[in-house]
Amino acid sequence: MSQAIVSPPRSEGLLASIGRFLRSDLVARLASYLFLLALWQLVALYEDRFPGPVEVFRFLWIEVTGGRHGGIVRGEFLEPFAATIPRFALGIAISMVLGVVTGVVIGGSKLAEALLKDTLLVLVALPAIIWAFLTQMWMGLGDDAVVITTFLSAFPFVAINVVQGIQAIPRDLRRMSGAYHVSRYRRLRHLQIPAVTGYLFAGFRFAVIVGWNAVLLGEWFSASDGVGWRSRYWYDANRYRGFVGWVILFIGFIVLLDRLVLVRLQRRAFRWRDAQLTVTERQAEEIDVGVRGA
Amino acid sequence: MSSTTGVRGPRGSAHLSLAGRRRVRGVAGLLIGVGGFLLVWSLLSEFVVGEFLLPPPLEIGQEMWEIVRSGAFVEQFVPTILRLGYGFGLALLIGFPVGYLMGTSRWWRAFFHDMVMIAGSIPGITYAVMALVILGISILGPVISVGLVAMPYIAINVAEGLDSVDRQLVQMSDAFRRRRALVVRHVLIPSVAPFAFAGVRLSFALAWKVEQLTEVFGASSGVGFQIRREFEDFSISGTLAWVLLFIIFMILVERFLLARLERYLFRWRLEDNR
Repeated sequence: MSQAIVSPPRSEGLLASIGRFLRSDLVARLASYLFLLALWQLVALYEDRFPGPVEVFRFLWIEVTGGRHGGIVRGEFLEPFAATIPRFALGIAISMVLGVVTGVVIGGSKLAEALLKDTLLVLVALPAIIWAFLTQMWMGLGDDAVVITTFLSAFPFVAINVVQGIQAIPRDLRRMSGAYHVSRYRRLRHLQIPAVTGYLFAGFRFAVIVGWNAVLLGEWFSASDGVGWRSRYWYDANRYRGFVGWVILFIGFIVLLDRLVLVRLQRRAFRWRDAQLTVTERQAEEIDVGVRGA
Repeated sequence: MSSTTGVRGPRGSAHLSLAGRRRVRGVAGLLIGVGGFLLVWSLLSEFVVGEFLLPPPLEIGQEMWEIVRSGAFVEQFVPTILRLGYGFGLALLIGFPVGYLMGTSRWWRAFFHDMVMIAGSIPGITYAVMALVILGISILGPVISVGLVAMPYIAINVAEGLDSVDRQLVQMSDAFRRRRALVVRHVLIPSVAPFAFAGVRLSFALAWKVEQLTEVFGASSGVGFQIRREFEDFSISGTLAWVLLFIIFMILVERFLLARLERYLFRWRLEDNR
């Protein structure tokens, strides 16, 4: 901020300005991507089976555009996404609804908390692979197993967050609004909803991140189309460039969704609380959310 | 967090009885919780899905007992835990320097920012299958996966810890011409260590899960491998037995080992109320 106000020194050598450019954040980020690419290339040189960046991007180019045979976007890579996203959305929707209901029940009653909270913590601790295995054994191959894997993996995170949100409503404020006979509507509007919204968004973000992993695993083991199945298809065919290409596609999807949509929503939902945090603290908070989720 | 801040009242004379009462309440809560869990499970098994699809708790309990009695428990948990330990060792080894760079230099912060951010949302299956493709079936797969998963959290927490170092203490040490090594030993490390530990704690649950997944895909021993074997035998009770043993073990480590270590490391800022 303050740097922008201070006018730059009048005569600046070319070398100095290049130096400043090299020290800028943009260059640092570019350097980090180059570093990752170099690391990838090194791994590929070390292990022949593992495809290097050039090979993988060539594959992706063909998968996305159809290469020289197709038009601009042949759209073949969209088909698996079109199969996966409805399952994913359905799983997340169910887990949001049931998660909110469970969270409200547990947050509102001491007895329900004593009975169910530990169960919820156990569910949070379960790896999604367990659900992928169990649902396959329970339901066989098909959409059900995938949707239910997604739901069972994501649901406890929503519930836990709603519980935390309800319990985080400051007791003093609750008592004060009781003492001053604040109307039920105003209490809901100015106390309960703001307190829970942030947590609900955090829960939603968990659910999306956890659910994406779960839907991929579910499809890996019990589907015959979709992103997870498509990666497995290349993997089983020993065509690792296809596999790595699809890994890039599915990581890209979730990272874009998370960074462009979810983090912004969350920042907005929590802005009343986090306004005074430093940059590092806020980053740590955002990352923590990512972690506790996965 | 809410349980520690929620309790108000005078500290001191009433403190012991308060702690005692809280412990009793905690144990009672745990018992009711476990009871509730078993109750929900039995009801589901009996009335909703049937005993074949969800064997009743007793059957799983017998299976678990069999696993423990036959020695398979120790045999499979030891490699899993060792890999987890090595993985966290690796994460600390890389996470500390990265966190130091992020905490002290703006350029390096920008350099690592995207990697650390992205790492949190990478699906665990990526690590598992990549490890299998690159390293084959080997002990290195789970170790490196755990390291990669835990590293960003340790790094960002170390950076945060450096942010929190009391600048006045550093300035005072400079003013009194203390040696750099002394400042590092008595100012920097004590303020950063708890944060690094918080990073370990935070990434613990996630690292466990990714390790299980990696073992499912590419290991020839360990809990994850056993779970896969039971799955391939189509044994629901066997899968559940291993899963439950794993969860019980994880909760014990988390509650007793890590929570205690954390309290020990954070004891100097107890009055902080954080």
